[in-house]
Amino acid sequence: MSLTSLSFSFSSSPIPVKAPTKIRFQYKRSGRTVSVSALMDDSQSNGQQPGQLNLSVLRFTLGIPGFDESYLPRYIGYGFGSLLLLNHFVGSDLSAITPAQLRTEALGLSLAAFSAVLPYLGKFLPGTAIVNQASLPAGNEQLFIMSEGMPEALREQLAWSTYVLLRNTNTIAALVSVGGELCVRGYWSTPDDISRADLVDWFNKQIQNIGLPDLKDALYFPVNSGNEFQTLLPKGTRSLLILPLLRVSNSSTGKLKLSKGLVLLASSMTYAYSDKDRAWIEAIANQFRG
Amino acid sequence: MSRTGDIRSGLHAPEGERGQYRGPKPRKDWAADWVPNNEGTVRSLPIYVGGASLLAVLFNRAVSGIAPVADASSSQSRADLLTLGLAVTNILTGLVWLSIRPKSISVVKPEGVECRRIQSGLPELVVSELLWVWESLSTVTCCRSLVIIYDSICIMQIGVAAKSSAEDGGAVAVNPVKLMQGTLYQGIKKSKAQNYLANLSLYPGRSELPFLPANTQAVILQPLGDNGIAVIGGDTIRGFTTSDQTWIAYIGEKLDVTLAKHAGEISVLTQESVQRSNS
Repeated sequence: MSLTSLSFSFSSSPIPVKAPTKIRFQYKRSGRTVSVSALMDDSQSNGQQPGQLNLSVLRFTLGIPGFDESYLPRYIGYGFGSLLLLNHFVGSDLSAITPAQLRTEALGLSLAAFSAVLPYLGKFLPGTAIVNQASLPAGNEQLFIMSEGMPEALREQLAWSTYVLLRNTNTIAALVSVGGELCVRGYWSTPDDISRADLVDWFNKQIQNIGLPDLKDALYFPVNSGNEFQTLLPKGTRSLLILPLLRVSNSSTGKLKLSKGLVLLASSMTYAYSDKDRAWIEAIANQFRG
Repeated sequence: MSRTGDIRSGLHAPEGERGQYRGPKPRKDWAADWVPNNEGTVRSLPIYVGGASLLAVLFNRAVSGIAPVADASSSQSRADLLTLGLAVTNILTGLVWLSIRPKSISVVKPEGVECRRIQSGLPELVVSELLWVWESLSTVTCCRSLVIIYDSICIMQIGVAAKSSAEDGGAVAVNPVKLMQGTLYQGIKKSKAQNYLANLSLYPGRSELPFLPANTQAVILQPLGDNGIAVIGGDTIRGFTTSDQTWIAYIGEKLDVTLAKHAGEISVLTQESVQRSNS
């Protein structure tokens, strides 16, 4: 595989999308000659800014579907690191190891460790979109329940909001509660012995147990949601976002922030909600705040 | 709130019993906070690390001299090669990170006057929904101007609008009929899909939107069903991300449902405005 010959195409996936622009690369080869073509979605400028290196030729892919090239440094780090150890113990005469070799090996092992960490750091850089789709973990079933006796307008608003949140973000399970009325949609894991009619009460009870109604600030767990949420959340939840819907009321003791409800979103991906996603979720929650 | 409270309001803690949130708090994720703030350093870090290691390996080899014994040097050479390979991987990763740095595009402050015109006579529900749409768009995206036209009348013109040359210096009014006869509206009516003009200065259809500030950078035209259009003006070239576009499409659908439900009241307003323009 030659690094000097490659091509990539920039494509954005059609509606609906769940992640920012997916970047796909292709490695085209026709016979013995290799073609270089770089398509850039850059109608504005005809090249780079002056003083900026055009490094786009270095982006490559092995063309294996499902294999994320941004994790390549990690695999190379593990591979070469183990080869170094192999070389140390098996490939060299242990009694006659020179300090020079030890120095090289120490350097090599620290480089391997650094390479393994690189994809993790790269994840947070703007512009690197790791192509991860929210997968549906097993053990959950699809659910769509609402409290009884809701006004029609609120019913439609809740239905639309949960639909849009599930469609447009990396959410697999959404729960919205406004003024005591609950709407639960998505993939949840509920105990089998509870009938559908009692599910609303079950959810309400779970929320009360954790003390969620008293939440004052938004909570975002990008990696692990903790044990307290185990019964409530679907199996395989990695990210969790909870937005309380607060309203300010004037009481005798001054302005109080009372909880009007909350928006709870669970995802099977880590770092599922970017800043932009959270801003949009906040905007959706604002419908119910007024 | 009374002590007995609402039977269904399982989520309201009765007064006098302010509970505490008993759940876990999220851990401080230092990487997620540190990396985006020091983007430049992080992007070039692998290059420096890789380059320094490369030099270190060569230096080490030069200083210690190539041993005359074949076995020793070969295992040394193997270790050297592996370390060199790792150094090169780091350098290449650093270069890839540098190459995918998104171009930072500056915000262009729209020139015009603030305006907030909402058609009078609309039901309360519709007005609050329209204002919610404006609040969401202006907070989350780069939208600075919003015009909503439905059933041939301009329901809302809000945000920054072009300043009219008339003496009062108010905002240029929207001519819904003219807009609906123009190519931009006809185009989206036929395709029934959103149209994103990422760099408005490149499009000749710009002249059909005189009510937007002259230096509006990007525009999204969202059809609202068959009868309406939302014109969303932004202050950055390509400022609306794909995610924004999808959200706007869904919000457009919702708005269309709301407006269609109150279509009766809106058509009354249409007749009034037609009579006014005829008289």
